[in-house]
Amino acid sequence: MAEVHVIGQIVGASGFSSSSLFCKWGIHTGGAWKLLSGLREGQTQVDNPQLDDVAYWSHPIDVHFATKGLQGWPKLHLQVWHQDSFGRCELYGYGFCHVPSSPGFHRLDCVTWRPLGSWQEQLSQRFVGGGPQLLNSDLIYMGADRYRLQTCAMGTVHLQLAVLLRNFDRYGVEA
Amino acid sequence: MAVAAANPTVFLLMVSGQIESAQFPQYDDLYCKYCFVYGQDWAPTTGLEEGISQITSKNRGSQQDLVWNFPIDITFKSTNPFGWPQIVLSVYGPDSFGNDVVRGYGAVHIPFTPGSHKRTIPMFVPESTSKLQKFTSWLMGRQPEFTDPKVVAQGEGREVTRVRSQGFVTLSFNVVTKEMKKLGYDVSPAGMPSPSLASMGDGLHRY
Repeated sequence: MAEVHVIGQIVGASGFSSSSLFCKWGIHTGGAWKLLSGLREGQTQVDNPQLDDVAYWSHPIDVHFATKGLQGWPKLHLQVWHQDSFGRCELYGYGFCHVPSSPGFHRLDCVTWRPLGSWQEQLSQRFVGGGPQLLNSDLIYMGADRYRLQTCAMGTVHLQLAVLLRNFDRYGVEA
Repeated sequence: MAVAAANPTVFLLMVSGQIESAQFPQYDDLYCKYCFVYGQDWAPTTGLEEGISQITSKNRGSQQDLVWNFPIDITFKSTNPFGWPQIVLSVYGPDSFGNDVVRGYGAVHIPFTPGSHKRTIPMFVPESTSKLQKFTSWLMGRQPEFTDPKVVAQGEGREVTRVRSQGFVTLSFNVVTKEMKKLGYDVSPAGMPSPSLASMGDGLHRY
């Protein structure tokens, strides 16, 4: 079987309206993929930056997959949350990006979005916080079922990932 | 030079480089410790696994960077890229009472492709989670620290930590790998002659 290593970091996030952010992440793969070692999901620390408005997490990622097919190439899905001074958490954005298919080092910027509620919900969100969340978090990385969803743009998550492939050329796969 | 084995089982990762400089706008007179964190299949063959730099201060002139110019030189061997080594840095400096307190922790993976690379990594310190702890730590002049700096290279158990990022450290690396291709690993896109020729300019400070 061919093997894929994804090694790198979730560096941080920028462009969000306030700091004190953290990120929940996970890697979704198709059925032919098997996780050999490493963590498939996790949650970063909460960063309160002092220098600029970029939250830095430096969260390490190191996963090792074996695969029998190319369908369902790994996707990284992210949820950015804000933690206020009372420890309450609020959703700030959803996003996903494909793990690059070419080997080597990649810097990725993952854009994020947030569901919008009705105007009453938006008004109450402005004053008391909170806001709508997805019931089914599969929607973050799936294209089906997104129609009629109202969203708005949020910030960007910055990643650095290295992709190492093994035995792909033995099966004639050019990546 | 020894003749390369026909069927290698291990690959080598040779790293040389330096901890160049740091930017900590609020602090001065800092020193830096480094160590490596790597997986079970990895072992260092030569070189120093940890070190402590000199204490450096900012130039009184225009320059606001702290310069260490501290060398790193180590070789690892492994059978599996999982657990690829990370360098963990911790920066310390005196507080107003002259006690050494931590000014930042940070970690980054050793670059994966042969060639020369530059990395700027964010540095952060843990924060107390409760107001009472914040007050007592201010009163006693003591700051929360990690008992083992190596936790910053681990992905587990970070959801309970709150941190404050307050600086950057710039590192430069020269990486040489051996036998990775023979073991079937592709680390750079096909048809690209040398990854070091591609622009690897760092943008981490600007992400």
